[in-house]
Amino acid sequence: MSFKIKLALATTALVATAGLSQAQVAEDSKLLEVLDRGSLLCSGHNGSFLGFAEVDDQGKWKGVDIDLCRALAAGLFGTSEGNLEIVPISWAQRWPALQSGDIDVVIKVSGWTQSRDTELNLAYSTPYFIGAFQAMAKADLGAEAIADLDGGSLCVAAGTSTERATATFLESNGIEAELLTFENGDELRNSYYEGRCDAIVEWAPSLAAGRVDAPDGADNHVILDDVIALEAEGIIVPEGDPDWLDVQNWMLSSLWFAELEGITSENVDEVRANPPSETIAKFLGVSPGYGDRLGLSNDWAYNMIKEVGNFAEIYDRNIGDGSPYGLPRGINSLYNAGGVFYPFIID
Amino acid sequence: MADVIQPPKDSFQSRIKARYFATRRDTVITVVFAALVAWVLWSLIDWALLNATFAPNAGDICREDLHGGACWSVVSTRWRIVLFGLYPFEEQWRSAIACAVMVAVAVLSCVPWFWSAKRLAPLWVVGFAVFYILMRGGFFGLTEVTEQNWGGLSLTIFIFSGTSLLGMPLAIIFALLRRSKLPWIARTMALVIDTIRSLPLLSIMFTFAIVLPFVLPDGLTGDKLYRVIIGYALFFACYQAEIIRGGMQALPAGQEEAAKALGLGYWHRIGYIVLPQAFRNALPPTINQFVITVKETSLVTIIGFFDVMASGRAASGTAEWNFAVIEMYVFVGLIFLVFVFSLSRYGAYLERRLGVGKR
Repeated sequence: MSFKIKLALATTALVATAGLSQAQVAEDSKLLEVLDRGSLLCSGHNGSFLGFAEVDDQGKWKGVDIDLCRALAAGLFGTSEGNLEIVPISWAQRWPALQSGDIDVVIKVSGWTQSRDTELNLAYSTPYFIGAFQAMAKADLGAEAIADLDGGSLCVAAGTSTERATATFLESNGIEAELLTFENGDELRNSYYEGRCDAIVEWAPSLAAGRVDAPDGADNHVILDDVIALEAEGIIVPEGDPDWLDVQNWMLSSLWFAELEGITSENVDEVRANPPSETIAKFLGVSPGYGDRLGLSNDWAYNMIKEVGNFAEIYDRNIGDGSPYGLPRGINSLYNAGGVFYPFIID
Repeated sequence: MADVIQPPKDSFQSRIKARYFATRRDTVITVVFAALVAWVLWSLIDWALLNATFAPNAGDICREDLHGGACWSVVSTRWRIVLFGLYPFEEQWRSAIACAVMVAVAVLSCVPWFWSAKRLAPLWVVGFAVFYILMRGGFFGLTEVTEQNWGGLSLTIFIFSGTSLLGMPLAIIFALLRRSKLPWIARTMALVIDTIRSLPLLSIMFTFAIVLPFVLPDGLTGDKLYRVIIGYALFFACYQAEIIRGGMQALPAGQEEAAKALGLGYWHRIGYIVLPQAFRNALPPTINQFVITVKETSLVTIIGFFDVMASGRAASGTAEWNFAVIEMYVFVGLIFLVFVFSLSRYGAYLERRLGVGKR
């Protein structure tokens, strides 16, 4: 081995070791801007979106998306209290608001579509929720599939990916049905219950939430099995900011990792005092490395779990069994429970 | 005429009979429509009052009886969201006082005693200052609440007053420029007015709220709220300018000529002769414009403001209350009704006082 190669190897090893303990955050990264500002500007809603962004009796935000905002703020600053601003924005406004810096990150059940990813210059995190679009029809129509609704009409929300997906579905299956579009979710649902259309196409969680409150009783409505489309909902940051995107991905991974390891907001202190494995010790910041590499404090995951809990806790509290919706977790479970989600490797 | 024959005074009964039951057909029509109106009214009262649930936190009672009456419980539980939006719960008294101050200022400026620039201007300056200090805080030991957390009724009132107060003087300036003797000024103004009028309000708001920060230098952008009010005021001014111009053109040309002959300067002619009469002529469409402006404030929800409308949707938009959407809309509708109806009645009072349509 020549001296030159030895030197090169030694340098690489040195850089690698240094890299272990030193964050390589780009100077123009949103991450540094947010940390400097001392508060995170996260997306809210101009009204409410059931289960994901709601307002409680005291005017405080709650929901899955809001809890993810809180988790992110807790990870960045230790606690979300005083470090998180939920900025109310409409659906139409979310991308311009992100580009103009009114918000730092969009956590607003937004589907990963090609046009958004490429033409709008957005960067998506790994999906955190899988939403299926299905149709709910009046039970007395006797429909078992969307094909049975041939010649009828479907109510959908205007200007969303639902509208496009439904149109495509109808076209490719040769079904002739009229699409009636509505701007607002309440209007959409009321129009369906008032009989302006035979079926309503929505995102499955919304359908289930709506069916519970059906004015003529939940039994009179059936959710058809056809999956019109799947939507993978991710967290969105501006393109070209890998450091900020890394934080989003590792936040989600941490929430799943905690769930997989049985670490909850209740027992996180005990686990931290007595970490069962070296990986968990690193994860909770007992031994260094988990935060440094992202440019965060090493106990960032601990702060997150302490405040909002693991992913199962977030889900149950807001749309699962612990909430009035009682939506089964299904495909949104971890891989070992029949779902599609998994944490990444902590090394 | 000496011998005017007084018609015999009809009794109440005979008048009713003559008007509604004169022929058999009249009787049938009267009975059918009276029954219809009575039925609609009865169902309404039955739904809204007799079978309704008023107690707070009674969502479960409403749910079990979905075919019964209205569930006003949603309002009695969550009215604070409608009135104050996302304003911090413990600080909502500030929003309430600010709201009351603004309404008081608006009511005061309707009193004829205040109708001069010397009294009106300080009234509104003080009104806005009190509103801003209370809402925004950061002074006198009040915690700071940034504009993006303002919401509910106080935000709607603020947007409306801001738009009107900024828009009205702008409208007068636009109208005067539009009537300028210099063709290039008049034509340019006409072009500006026509351009802005042909754009939808929604796109103007969207542009001012979201596109402007990309264009303007950082120091000039200000909060989104103020940008939107400026955009809305511009839109308001273009419509109102045309209304004022209509009022001006209805004046006989002789009036201004007579004023000139008396040696009055331009500002005296405009201030004492033209504008007061133009406003009197243009009063009905001006009230109309204000009414439209109140109602269109709810468009701001599309750019993420928590106005009364958005707050109403947030108030009914939870798992517990999602079934009570209609009750919430009725409540929000009533709030608008109170404001718009008082505005219309005030307009009618002004018309009587100024003798619009009589002189």
